[in-house]
Amino acid sequence: MNLDEYRTVFVAGSLVLMLIAATPTVSLIMVVSSGGGERFSELWLLGPNHLAEDYPFNVSVNELYRVFAGVGNHLGGSSYYLVYAKFRNQTQPLPDVMASEPSSLPTLYEFRFFVADGETWESLLTFAFQNVSLQGNSVFVSNVSINDVTFSVNSYSMWDSENQGFYYQLFFELWLYDITSRSFQYHNRFVGIWLNMTSS
Amino acid sequence: MKSASKLLVLFFVFAFSVSIIMSEAFASHLEDTATSSIEKAENALISAYQAVLETERVGTNVAALLTRLNEAGESLVKAQVAFRLRDFDEAVRSADLCYEVGEDVKRQAEELLLVAYSSSVVGNWLTVTGSLVSVIAIVFGSFWGWRVFKRRYIRRVLKKKPEVAKDESR
Repeated sequence: MNLDEYRTVFVAGSLVLMLIAATPTVSLIMVVSSGGGERFSELWLLGPNHLAEDYPFNVSVNELYRVFAGVGNHLGGSSYYLVYAKFRNQTQPLPDVMASEPSSLPTLYEFRFFVADGETWESLLTFAFQNVSLQGNSVFVSNVSINDVTFSVNSYSMWDSENQGFYYQLFFELWLYDITSRSFQYHNRFVGIWLNMTSS
Repeated sequence: MKSASKLLVLFFVFAFSVSIIMSEAFASHLEDTATSSIEKAENALISAYQAVLETERVGTNVAALLTRLNEAGESLVKAQVAFRLRDFDEAVRSADLCYEVGEDVKRQAEELLLVAYSSSVVGNWLTVTGSLVSVIAIVFGSFWGWRVFKRRYIRRVLKKKPEVAKDESR
């Protein structure tokens, strides 16, 4: 090797050493500015056996039903969530996914919770129907109990001849607290189960 | 006698009206109290959440604080549900509990933030300074090393005895 080649080896070796010495600082900067990865929240509903099956469907008055509602946080930091439980018949509005608008129906029950990044939250939800009556071609549900709290819903459901039943839906909207606006914003996610009121 | 019974009826009507007005005023007062308690509890919960977020940003584990925040959140839900069912006493009780837990979490988060912030500042300062000093040392060390090496190399080359090669082309 001649002197020029030795110089190249020296410069390259020095640069490698400098890079190694600067690594802690570089990693510090990268941790501070990193925000990679897709950010999203999950919302799910499981049946009484904690599986995605055996959901309550044919329901009747004064029977107690169980489902599990869950939320997963992948937003890169701890988040403050709200889940609203709402009840509707087939003609009442669901949330508008395209417009990111929640349903205009009143909230019956709600959950408020904080979830760390990468963690999940889950809660058992029991529900029952009271004061259900068959009125001609429709069923009238007066009260819905959620987690032992009774709410007045006064909701009619017409006979669905195509699907052979009186259908209602219990659904859950996910809301997220926005630090900037200091308010909860609808997070454009909802899940629900169809319920066929079988007897009164 | 007739006027006395009339007076009695009037008195009962008056007493009945007053009791209705009073009970409505009392209910309205309870509702206002519940509304303000819930609002206060919500604000306390939000402030505590913001303090926890700040603490989390400096790399502190906030799992325990989140658990306590969830306790406060459950109390707030109880208060909201009780308010919707017009159980204002329960609403106030649950909202006050939420407020207390929220304030406590906020205080703990701020304490943790202070500790974490000072240790993280010192840690970051040491890291950056350490890197800087190392890079400078490598630069100077390389220059010095190169000069030494170059001097020795030249000396070694100069010490070599030139050999005259036999030109066989002739």
